[in-house]
Amino acid sequence: MAAALTLDGISKRYGGFQAVSDLSFEVEKGTICGFLGPNGAGKTSTLRMILGLQPATSGRIEILGADDGRKVRDRIGFLPEERGLYKKMTPVDAIAFFGGLKGLPVAEGRKRAREMLEQMGLGDAQKKKMKELSKGMAQKVQLIASVVHRPEFVILDEPFSGLDPMNQQGLEAMIRALAADGATVLFSTHVMQHAERLCDKVVLLARGRKAFEGTVDQARATSPRFLELEGALDLAAVAALPGVSGVEVLNDHDGARILRAGLAQGAGGQEALKSAFLTGLDVRRFQIKEPTLHDAFIALTGDHPDDDQSVARDAAHDGLKAEAAR
Amino acid sequence: MNRTLLIARREYMAYAKTVGFWLSLLAFPLFGALGGAIPILMSHAEPTRSVALVDEAPTGSGLAAAVRQSLENEQAKGDINALRMAAIPEAGVAGGDRVRQIAETQGYEAGVAALKREAPRAGAGFTAPKPSLTLAAPPAEIVAAAPGEARDALARRYLSDEAPDGQKLSAVVFLTEIEGQPGARVWTARATDDAVENAVRDALKDVNRRQVFAASGIDPAVVAQTDRFRPELAVFSPKAASGGEVSFRDKLPTVVGLAVGFILWSLIITGASILLNSVMEEKSNKILEVLLSSASATEILTGKVLGVALLTLTVLVAWGGLGGIGLIAAAPDMAGDIGSVLMSNGLLIYFLLFMVGGYLMYAVLFAAIGAFCETPRDAQTLMGPIMMVLFVPLIVMQMAIRTPDATVVKVMSLIPPFTPFVMAARAPSGPPLIEIIGALIGMFLFAALMVWVAGRAFRAGALSDVKLNWKSFLGAVRGGS
Repeated sequence: MAAALTLDGISKRYGGFQAVSDLSFEVEKGTICGFLGPNGAGKTSTLRMILGLQPATSGRIEILGADDGRKVRDRIGFLPEERGLYKKMTPVDAIAFFGGLKGLPVAEGRKRAREMLEQMGLGDAQKKKMKELSKGMAQKVQLIASVVHRPEFVILDEPFSGLDPMNQQGLEAMIRALAADGATVLFSTHVMQHAERLCDKVVLLARGRKAFEGTVDQARATSPRFLELEGALDLAAVAALPGVSGVEVLNDHDGARILRAGLAQGAGGQEALKSAFLTGLDVRRFQIKEPTLHDAFIALTGDHPDDDQSVARDAAHDGLKAEAAR
Repeated sequence: MNRTLLIARREYMAYAKTVGFWLSLLAFPLFGALGGAIPILMSHAEPTRSVALVDEAPTGSGLAAAVRQSLENEQAKGDINALRMAAIPEAGVAGGDRVRQIAETQGYEAGVAALKREAPRAGAGFTAPKPSLTLAAPPAEIVAAAPGEARDALARRYLSDEAPDGQKLSAVVFLTEIEGQPGARVWTARATDDAVENAVRDALKDVNRRQVFAASGIDPAVVAQTDRFRPELAVFSPKAASGGEVSFRDKLPTVVGLAVGFILWSLIITGASILLNSVMEEKSNKILEVLLSSASATEILTGKVLGVALLTLTVLVAWGGLGGIGLIAAAPDMAGDIGSVLMSNGLLIYFLLFMVGGYLMYAVLFAAIGAFCETPRDAQTLMGPIMMVLFVPLIVMQMAIRTPDATVVKVMSLIPPFTPFVMAARAPSGPPLIEIIGALIGMFLFAALMVWVAGRAFRAGALSDVKLNWKSFLGAVRGGS
């Protein structure tokens, strides 16, 4: 399948701070790619470089056949991490305006805006001012504004942040619909569950470096399965079970513990179950669990995806002042 | 639609669709009209004071009659002056002077007739100004009472609500002679109202003057004639349009230049400030990043500058239109003179160029500062010094009226940031063409530099969280570390 986006050895340096290091990956046309990593891992910097909002210190980017995102900006839809629209505009006007900037005739933009607002359940809000809308409603409007021109490539920076579970579900459906219509979607998030449900492919980023690129299943396969055991269990006895590589307490309440026992690579878990019964361990529940993307991330990077790597982020933003020379 | 035009249209409509914009647009001419009308309304609303003169001077001094005459003369002067002022907008200063002369020599009614001839529109609607005081006959019981406490007690009564029906007075003036010179004790109903006090003081001074002249053997008719004398003064200058005598028309360009300088200053600063606030709003609402993903920084900056320029132009056309209509209606000759001043020697073109250059250099600078700021407080670090510098041309412009070729005015008019204002004020006085052209070239080169500087700063500021100060701003411009 042809690549809609190719990053080849991309690095970004802000003064003395290395935000992104030697990053390479591809996103195939018509697929959904999750760009995953903790806050401050370099996701936003990378997305801005893809869009051409800031130059890469080194490396090559090709998007929709162009060597600079700015050359194909009309074919790209972008939802930034920090969202906002003109407070005194109505949703229809705002959507038509941003569609117009992407080359969509204003009248057509207004027509599509009304249709899409209806589809998103915002029909009643069409004539209200943006400042009168709830945060979730405003976020939906901004999302519509970023795709009203029917872009071939959609970049969404932390699209799920700030949305309640209901709206998150709606957004997932919308992303699937975009891909079904042939658009390529690249979205960044630090919440692995969304990526797990949506993505054809994920790229894991930690401390500015790529930790993994592949499908969700391939990512999961990098992490061993684990056992979840419940009962009056002794930590040392569980750790001594065959195939178990490590144990951690998930819950400990009134002597009823829930333990998570990691399995060594290649271990199935049945040996451990058999041994537990033979040694008379008080096991009330025993479950072999597949690793999640979250587990895979920890296994691959040693970091936790909910950690904040943005300590140096301010320095990165300070470094933006160096971007004037474009 | 082209991105730049789309951004310009949004920028324009964002303000033009608000009620506040139209209110503030109309506020300036409205307050201007009110500013002119309020003194007239106040003079009409001021009550006419009823004043009784009681003569306590030695019998035969004729002090009361002299003061009465002086007060009436003063009133007549006010009426004649009102005739002259009414004539000037329509008939010019010369016409006003003719009306005054006729009124002084032939009487008030002849003056009104002259006004109707010289300025038919003003004459048709003219009403004599309301007198500030009228002289009432002194109450008989006050005159009959013994001078001193008894009269004072009665004066108190006639100034209060206890006065007999229809005989309440605003002031009672006891005229006397103190050490041989005219003096008075003024009882007034309101302690804070000094209108009667001032009128009586002036009248007493006038009476004293006449008495002194009379004592020196000077004929009162000679004194009156001397008072009416107004010298015929003609001013000549080789730079006058006639080549000799200076007329009001010769002074008009300088006045127009100063007015245009001030208007340009306020329009440019208002426009640039609108742009600053607009960019700050987009920055604080996180809109700039979305805009930058849809249009280049140049397109955004150009669109915004263009949109606010159209807004400024709307203000200029509205103010100019209303001012022009008002001036044509009130003083068509002056309107014609101002029109011919603007159309002469390419002044209108110069003014337009100064406006374009001035707006461009300040608008882009303010927009670039706005790109770093989310609140006006953020912008203060840079805006404070810039605003202080911007007050310099306001001072220099006033110098340009009297001495347009003073070295300081010349130099300031050639410094690009001040050129749009100071050269606008100076241009009507006919500076050498080379200086105007040089100033225009310098201004547009500087404006181009500002566009380049601001473009770089805008791009950097739009995506930056860095705190704005001179160092960070210049760092963004340099694109260095």
